[in-house]
Amino acid sequence: MSAAPSRIGARGVAWWPVLGMAAFLAAFPYVIPYLGGSLDTANRILDWGLFGLGFDLLFGFTGLLSFGQAAFFGVGGFVASYLLVAPVTGNALLALLVGTVLAAAVGVFVGYLSLRRAGIYFAMLTLAFGEMFYFLDISPLAQWTGGENGLAGVPAPQFGFGFGATSPFGVYWFIAILFFFGFWFALRLIRSPFGAVLRAIRDNGERAAAVGHDVPKYKLTVFVIAAAYGGLAGGLLGLLQGYMPPDAFYLETSGQLVVQTIIGGAGTLVGPLVGAAVWLDLYTVLQNIAGIGALWKMILGVIFVLLVTTFRRGLCGVVVLLWWRATTSSPPAGSEAEAPPPSDLIPPPAEPVIRVSRPITGSVVLATRNLSKRYGGLAAVDDVSFELREGEVRAVIGPNGAGKSTFFNMLASVIPPSAGTIEFKGANITDLGTIRVCQLGIAKSFQINQIFRSLTVRENLRVPAIARTYGKFHPSMLKTVGHDAAVNVRIDEAAAAVQLTDRLDTPAAALAYGEKRRLEVGLALATEPQVLLLDEPTAGMSPAERADTVRLLKRIGAGMTIVIVEHDMDVVFGLADRITVLFNGRKIAEGTPEAIQANPDVRAAYLGSQAAHEPA
Amino acid sequence: MSLLEVDAINTYYGEAHALFDVSMRVEPHEVVALLGRNGAGKTTTFKTMMGVMAPKSGTIRFNGMPIQGLPPYKIARLGLQLVPEERRIIGGLTVEENLILAGLSAPTPWKPERVYEIFPRLGERHRSRGRELSGGEQQMLTIARALVREPRLILLDEPFEGLAPLIVQDLLRICRDLAAAGRTIVIVEQNVQAALSLAQRCYILNNGHMVYEGTPAELRADPDFMRRHLGI
Amino acid sequence: MGLTVIFGALGVVNFAHGALYAVGAYAGFVTYEYTDSFVAAMAAGAIFVLIVGIVIERGLIRLYYQRPPEDQILVTFGIGIVLVEGLRAIFGGLNRNLPAPSWAASIVNLHVTLYPIYRIDVLVIVAVVLALLYVVLYRTRLGLIVRAGIEDQLMVNILGINVTRTFLTVFGLGAMAAGFAGVINAPIVTVSPDMGADVLVQSFVVIVIGGVGSFWGAVVGGLIAGEILSLAAMIDPAYSDVMLFAAMAVVLILRPQGLFGVQGRQ
Repeated sequence: MSAAPSRIGARGVAWWPVLGMAAFLAAFPYVIPYLGGSLDTANRILDWGLFGLGFDLLFGFTGLLSFGQAAFFGVGGFVASYLLVAPVTGNALLALLVGTVLAAAVGVFVGYLSLRRAGIYFAMLTLAFGEMFYFLDISPLAQWTGGENGLAGVPAPQFGFGFGATSPFGVYWFIAILFFFGFWFALRLIRSPFGAVLRAIRDNGERAAAVGHDVPKYKLTVFVIAAAYGGLAGGLLGLLQGYMPPDAFYLETSGQLVVQTIIGGAGTLVGPLVGAAVWLDLYTVLQNIAGIGALWKMILGVIFVLLVTTFRRGLCGVVVLLWWRATTSSPPAGSEAEAPPPSDLIPPPAEPVIRVSRPITGSVVLATRNLSKRYGGLAAVDDVSFELREGEVRAVIGPNGAGKSTFFNMLASVIPPSAGTIEFKGANITDLGTIRVCQLGIAKSFQINQIFRSLTVRENLRVPAIARTYGKFHPSMLKTVGHDAAVNVRIDEAAAAVQLTDRLDTPAAALAYGEKRRLEVGLALATEPQVLLLDEPTAGMSPAERADTVRLLKRIGAGMTIVIVEHDMDVVFGLADRITVLFNGRKIAEGTPEAIQANPDVRAAYLGSQAAHEPA
Repeated sequence: MSLLEVDAINTYYGEAHALFDVSMRVEPHEVVALLGRNGAGKTTTFKTMMGVMAPKSGTIRFNGMPIQGLPPYKIARLGLQLVPEERRIIGGLTVEENLILAGLSAPTPWKPERVYEIFPRLGERHRSRGRELSGGEQQMLTIARALVREPRLILLDEPFEGLAPLIVQDLLRICRDLAAAGRTIVIVEQNVQAALSLAQRCYILNNGHMVYEGTPAELRADPDFMRRHLGI
Repeated sequence: MGLTVIFGALGVVNFAHGALYAVGAYAGFVTYEYTDSFVAAMAAGAIFVLIVGIVIERGLIRLYYQRPPEDQILVTFGIGIVLVEGLRAIFGGLNRNLPAPSWAASIVNLHVTLYPIYRIDVLVIVAVVLALLYVVLYRTRLGLIVRAGIEDQLMVNILGINVTRTFLTVFGLGAMAAGFAGVINAPIVTVSPDMGADVLVQSFVVIVIGGVGSFWGAVVGGLIAGEILSLAAMIDPAYSDVMLFAAMAVVLILRPQGLFGVQGRQ
């Protein structure tokens, strides 16, 4: 199968945001007076928009809500301003560069610590570390930063060789050009393999790790990028005001950034700019209206709460929705009614079909030796040794609570064993962790769908394809992922294998349940595993969908090594070459389907042992 | 009038259809076994009865009153009590606190002492925290927690799962005593023989469909059917 | 400082608590203006913020229990802005002073340092509130339900208890604690709409150090944080706040779940 040309590129959509932004920046200073603002307002809007670009990459695209961006804004601002005021250098570009780099360095420190926790604690930590820099600024470092007074007398930008931006318009163009490059870079980044992984992390970080991405490293990298944007914007603030205020470090600065981004629309790149315009414009306009001037921030707060509650995608989200309504009859991704399941389903066989087992001659790929997992006193898996040969389809069965999922999760390195080892092609992989195990070639599909819901099928499959093509971490930020032939081939192959080729551009959330289940398997398949671990692939399916899935898995299974945990015996006997039976954490039987069916211990385990029904 | 009447319920996990027109009834003072393979929908049936999941269609009547779609706490106050499979002991509370908690909303809760007469082991450990108990002790506590409420109907979900045979015998004896005392019980259990030895009637679920209703004797007489729907 | 322990022990701190703390301080301030009674001010601060908390929970927070944690952070943060700006609109941005009650306005000579009696009283009050909280959490029906509900809401629901009402209670209690803290801290700090920010940050630090949802974790975290602040202040006041954050960083590196936190609970 050949790589299909990227649809994005073919339609020429890739360039219009860049050209549109250039046109907007050219027209903005002439439009702003009609909005009640001045050139200075325009400068501030762009500066906050630039600050917000980084935050949007962090929150809108990666899902990391930070309340500590002020730290980077302040560091970048005070470093650049100090360099120019002292003066260490007269070159504004050099000062900005140093400020940005130091802000990024601070980002490494804060990010490393804050990313150790998730969710609300991540937000708390960023807020706390942000405050730490405020205290550093006003007290221990006051002799350089001016403490509560800030740094006055920042000279107008000079770039050496007699060039400078001293006129008001000069400052605007300087900021506009930097904003333009910031926007261009952010846009490239979100379209790069790196950006595709970020969005996957936002949707489901655990799954992104399970297909082999080094999620912590990606998170830290984007955190540092956001810090650099903050540092650059902070430096520009000092330049455009001629004064660097200590407010840059305030908690309110971080808060303002969050509010602006949400109001404008997170995950859009232009949202923060729109939000900054609303904030600064509302401020300017409302100040002039007697009676409510003092209330402007409360009004913004109310708008913010209402938007978060009812329309989380902000003003840009509203515009997109209206545009969709106006131009198409169907609503945008996600709200589409469920598509009907494909019609090529056959009725299930009435009786289990026992497959003639084939001789397994390949070498051992995956083996466990005396593997155990204890929870407190309870042994969930007890001394299980097991060998899987190349090309084999192995089913692991057993009653509820037999330890199947625990065993399975140890194979995928999701949980560490209490004792024993796991070997992959002779090498010890115990405790390696999901990311590295997946990179080695063991991929797992989950019992409960763990797909990236807000992405299309193509974008979903792109995530594992990138992991296989580029390894667990690859900071390729300027490459357009849609044009990547190696990745595209992998996407197409995986889509064909799970019969989703004609659904490639459908959002995952809009797939029918059976299709989602296939996509779940496709995600594991697209990592091109040498061993595929399937956890109840037919869970929750109708009988017709089950039969269809069995046929699909049979085709995938030809020439592949698979371990499958499944409750449905029709599925098990339809697929497996050999079966391992677990009961109370122990392996009680192993062999061909015929042998397992005839095994009295297995029947006793399933039907209840004699000991249990004898009266006490 | 049956104590519990389930009529053609359909329950979904998100979009996954789990129960297809499932119907069953429970008469006062009887023990009913609900059987089926893993994933057949037994636990889902219990969750739907208890209000943990709402059915998309169908009715559930308890004592003649429709209860489908009510929140669990309202259903519990009517006298239906689920003993969940995962035990769900509150690990941070002591044994006695777990029992008191269970009795808070019951009209005439048992005193913990009455529980300790039935489960002397729990009496010995009444000050231990839930998370410090062994699996068998936890299971005793989940059953005791239901008894404290004096429910009119107990739903026992896999009470013997993962327990050593001796403890299973112990619990089985307790269940038998409860049945002899006239309690109404529905039991879901992988250990088919144990469940059948307790029950007067049984149902079998397969892939979300109710495929059998009858007595244990009738079921035992049809080993082929049993193998197809329960075993391998 | 000790006040932050109360939030931690309840395990319910959110981004609106700083604002609720300020609302409590203003409620106390207004009450004091009219009644001249510090006790009435304390009661008014606690009760008024309890009512505000109930209204917020019923009106907004309730809609968020099923939404991702980021949305909950955002909405509580937004509520915080509205409350703080509301205070600013009503009372203006100027600092106000709530005098310490007359029975505590003197200075005590501790031989090493002169210490205002009121600060000692605050310590006593915090200890009393903590003891009260302990009794409520560990010796009452409500506490039993709250502790169980934090661990497993569904099971508590199955046992016939209306958990949504429990959430309301917990949220209300958290708000009330914030309001009460606002009043009793008002004589020490100045009353301004933004007064809650520092307390909010310190509460977060205490929670991160002590571990989440642990009564003793919060107490120990609070003690450690308090010790660090006062010790560092003796050596070099400029670094006292910074030292606090450094301690937090050390805990994060060595024990990310906090000193008393349970592994895996995010």
